[in-house]
This record gives sequence, C-alpha cells and structure tokens, in this order.
Amino acid sequence: MTSQNRDEGNGEDTAQLEAEIADLEARLKSAKERLSRSSPTPSASNNSDNILTRSPSPPTSSHHFLLLLSDSALPLGSFAFSSGLESYLAHQRSSARKAGHQPRPSFTADFLPLSLSSYASTTLPFVLAAHRDPTAVADLDDHLDAAVICTVGRRASIAQGRALLGIWERSFVPSSSASSAGAAAATGAAEEVLKPFSALLRSAGSTTSTAPSSAATSTPTDPQLPPPVSAHLGPLFGAVCALLGLTLPQTAYVFLLSHAKALVSAAVRASLFGPYQAQRVLASPETQALIAAFVAREWDTPPEDAGQSVPVMDLWIGRHEMLYSRIFNS
Amino acid sequence: MISPFPKSASAAGEGHIVVKLLPHDISALESITYQYPLKLISPTVKATQQSVVVFLLSYGGGLVGGDQVNLKIDIQPFARLSIVTQGHTKIFKPAIPGTITRQRLSVNIQDGAALCLLPDPVQPFEGSLYEQTQVFHLHGSASLCLLDWVTHGRAARGENWDLLKWTGRNEIWFKNQDTGLKDRLLVRDTVLLDGTSESAHPMPLRETMHGHAIFGTLILRGPLTQSLGEFFLGEFSALPRIGARDFRTAAEKEKGLEKSALESWRASRLQQEIRDGVLWSAANVRSCVVIKFGAATVEAGRDWIGSMLAQEASLQKNFGEDALLCVR
Repeated sequence: MTSQNRDEGNGEDTAQLEAEIADLEARLKSAKERLSRSSPTPSASNNSDNILTRSPSPPTSSHHFLLLLSDSALPLGSFAFSSGLESYLAHQRSSARKAGHQPRPSFTADFLPLSLSSYASTTLPFVLAAHRDPTAVADLDDHLDAAVICTVGRRASIAQGRALLGIWERSFVPSSSASSAGAAAATGAAEEVLKPFSALLRSAGSTTSTAPSSAATSTPTDPQLPPPVSAHLGPLFGAVCALLGLTLPQTAYVFLLSHAKALVSAAVRASLFGPYQAQRVLASPETQALIAAFVAREWDTPPEDAGQSVPVMDLWIGRHEMLYSRIFNS
Repeated sequence: MISPFPKSASAAGEGHIVVKLLPHDISALESITYQYPLKLISPTVKATQQSVVVFLLSYGGGLVGGDQVNLKIDIQPFARLSIVTQGHTKIFKPAIPGTITRQRLSVNIQDGAALCLLPDPVQPFEGSLYEQTQVFHLHGSASLCLLDWVTHGRAARGENWDLLKWTGRNEIWFKNQDTGLKDRLLVRDTVLLDGTSESAHPMPLRETMHGHAIFGTLILRGPLTQSLGEFFLGEFSALPRIGARDFRTAAEKEKGLEKSALESWRASRLQQEIRDGVLWSAANVRSCVVIKFGAATVEAGRDWIGSMLAQEASLQKNFGEDALLCVR
C-alpha cells in the first residue's frame, strides 16, 4: 500500500519534470534564435572554442607557449628516459621465464596507467604548487629532491629540469619580452622570478667543485647536507608555465600528457608497437580519461602529502641500473 | 604500594619515552609513560646491553577503527634506543565507515644518540583505513635505522591488498644547531595505497602490487649505520645483471667455485631472491641510504631483510641482539 503511494508520487514528479524540461528547452531555443539574428559574425558564435577560425585576431601569447611546451621537439632530452619501462619489460620477461610461460607485458593495460598514476601522485602536486606560487620554486625543489628516493629517477628529473631552466633563460625570456612590448614590465618581472633560483643552483654547483676554497669563505655548509637546490623538472615546469601565462589546468594536463608521450615514444623504440599504434594509444579516450582523472585526483593535494601510489614502480626504476643492456637512461 | 608498571600518560593513545646515558656508557630510561590503547614495556636494564629495548604494544595485538596512537621519543646525547613489537600490528576494519586509525611517532635524536626501529610489519585487514606518520629530528651526528613495512593482509582468509586506504609517511629532518638556520628535510618517503575508486586506477589495488605480498623501506643515516648502508649499496651493485648470459664453460665454472664466505652467502641469497620473488633496490639519497624491497610472501620478505642485517652484523654490535627480534 505504502509502496504504491510512493510510486504514484514518483509518477507525478516525473510528469512535472518533463513539462519543466520541455518548457526550458523551448525557451533556450528561442533565446538562441534571437542571439543568432542579432549577432553580426555567425562564425564567432558557432566556433567560439576554436582559436584557429578566430582570425584575423592572432592566438594569444599563452597559446603559443602552450604549443611550444607540449611539443615533443622541446629540447628537454625526454627521449633518453623510459621512466622504468625498459626495466619493467626486463622484469616481466624474467618472471615469465621463471613461471614457464610467454611474457605478456601489457603497455596500455598495465604500465601506462601505473606510470601515469605514480608520476601524478609523486610529482604533480609540486607542479601545481609551483604554478600557484612561482617564487616558492626553490623550497619545492628541495622538498621534491628529498622525496625522490631513487638514483635513476633523480637523474632523469634533474637532467630535464636543468634543460628546461636553460630553455627558459636562453630562449623564452628574450623572445617573450621582445614579442609583447606592451607587457614589458610584466615579462621583466617574470624574468626576475627564477633568477634567485638559478643563482642558488650555480652556487651549489661551484661549492661541490671547489669545496676547499669555498669552505673558508662566508657560509659554512655541512658536507653531510644536500645542496640547496637540484633543479627537478616538476617545480620548474609549473613555474615556467605560470610565467608564460598558461592556466593551471593546461599546465597539469600538458605535464602528464608529455609524460604519456615520452612513455609511448619509448615503447615504440623498445619495439613494443609501431607509430600508428602509438598514436592510437595517445588518442584513445582511455588515455584522455586517465590523465583527466589523475589531474583531478591531485588537484588539491599539498606537496607535503605527495607520495608513491605504485610502490613497485620505485623497484623497477631503481633496478634499471642492473639491466645488462640498456637503450635508455631510466 | 608502588605499582610495578610505568605510570600512565593523560590522553588516550599518548606515550612518551625519554632515554638518557648513564655513566659507563649505559643507556637507560629516564621516563616512560603511556595510555590505552598504547602499551610500552621495557625489560630491566642489564649492564651489558648496548641499548634500551622498548616493546611497542597495543592491547589485543591490534588497532581498531578510530584508535589514535601518538608516541613521542626523546633520546639524549649518546644514548641508544631500540624499539621492537610482538607480532604484526593488525589494523582492523572500522566499525563506523570512514573512521581512520592513526599512529603518529615523533622522535628527537640528539647528537651522538641513536634509534634502531625494527618493528614487525603492519598488517592492514580488509576494509581498513590507516594513516601512519613518523617524523625524526636528527641533531648533529645522530644515527637512525628505520624499517617500515606493510603486508597484503590476512592471507589465510584470502585477503590480498583488500584494505581501503593505507598511508605511510616517514620524514627525516636535520635539526640545525644554529637557531638562525632552517631545519633541512633530508628524506620524505611516502607510500599511498588506495583500494577505493578515488585512486582512479583502471585495475584493482592488488594488480598494481604485481604479485608482492609485502613492501618495505629501510632508511639509514648517521655514523652507527654507515657500514650497514655501505653493505647494502655494495650488495646492490654486486647483483647479477638482468638479461646477462653466462658464456663460461662447465670447466671454467668449476674453477670459479672456490669462494669466500661472503661470496657463498651471496650466491645462496641470490638463489633465494629468485625463488622468493624478492625485488630490491638501494640508493644514497641526501646522506641517507634508502632500501626498498618487495617479496612474493611475507615470510620471504622477513627472511631476506633478516639475512641481510644478520650478515652485516653491525646492528647487533651497536644495539644488541634484542633490537633484531622482529626480523629473525
């Protein structure tokens, strides 16, 4: 009896809602028609998202840098690193041999999501924090260095971070101030943000090379203590993107997409699949959904709560040095 | 009548241990307090002991949902403390969904002092929510040996990484004597296991663990653990190369059979590593040595770390046999 009543009540609600939806749809349609009649350029309203059709006004400077930073030709040397893929394949082969079956390493169903998750949980909070406050990049870099507990992973991160800092100083700073003369004051300020960081990095480099002479001078640095900064990729990427005008969602997405692209490119060179399959993996809705989900997962993670979500990844990356033959540096 | 048990601290789950150095280099407890569900026991001091041993226990052998343990440890200059447990720290499923069980350890190790923390592994049961934070402040030439490991649950009941969430965080800070300078973070090792849909993994947690039943991290820092750290780094670089082939003839292999004690121990350990599915790596990170390991069974993981520590033998020498109770 009571359930019947509830059913009837639901029926009435559904009818009411349907009527309301029909009404709203009719109002939306008429509003759209009025808008298209009053709008002078129909293309702008139809394709407002597409920047290429919005000529004659050129794309903004941040779009330009978004494309540059997401380019695989950006000289970070990413091609030299497989982020544990090469080691993963070797371990899968040896465990398969032990178990007596054919190795079935699965890149798309296993390694790609694990590696993206691990990279997002360990590094993305530092990228986001550096974008939100580029002046904090030195502290973020120091704390990330304390959290990278693996020689091979640290080497890869520092090599790419230093390359990015070099690109910023030698290529992006001069051209960004030249191209937008109107915003010269703003870019001048942007140029200054990473200067203290570079100075710290150079001083750290000089103390290690000329230890006896610098020990006598001003700051007594404990030989047991690490250098103040190391230049890891994550925080520098976040800071550079912020200074070039990329938004926070763009920065996070490009950071993880670049990692996926580097992994897929390494997989092609490790003969897992060919270039068409590679593009299919990158273009797939699964990969898009993974990146979006990991960005959402880490959006509010403070850098001090970042950590390893895939513990076995540390073992694979750390054991890369044990491979008899290697084509990658990580 | 005076109670033979240490007196209780005021808040639930709170505990505080202070270790000092007596004349003749004997470490002793200055004070020890605790409150339910935490329980601390220390055997009486022997003149021959290398360090004070404290058993870290919980009533009923585990922590139920919502238990909060908050232990503070102060080790005064040149004193030594070893912390052990009696069996796995079991983490039960909370009665009220969403209640997190927490353990927090905050340790101050003064100049020349040392802590050896080799507990049994944490065993998170199906549906458990657990967060563990261990923060170590090292002054001057303080030493630390820290083992943190987690198992896949109750294998006898078919559990295999069926926990909801497990967070383990270890921070090693270098305390600057100079008050004008900031403390330096040396290592922050965090493991985040997430069995819920929030992980955004396309596969269940157990598949991301790739057949490992136990994961562990050993962190070493300071003069008393230096030789152990070098031993692990040396053994890591002596591991056979993956994918290498042995091109020697049978006669040549025969000839290479005369080995030192270390070499024959290593050879049998390597065979066991392959049989037990032990994977490990060692790295020198900002003046600490960090060892990560995983094994296909809990016992294999315990055997492996126990064999490594026993072979090198400096922990027994510096902290006494009892410090290694949980890894034998």
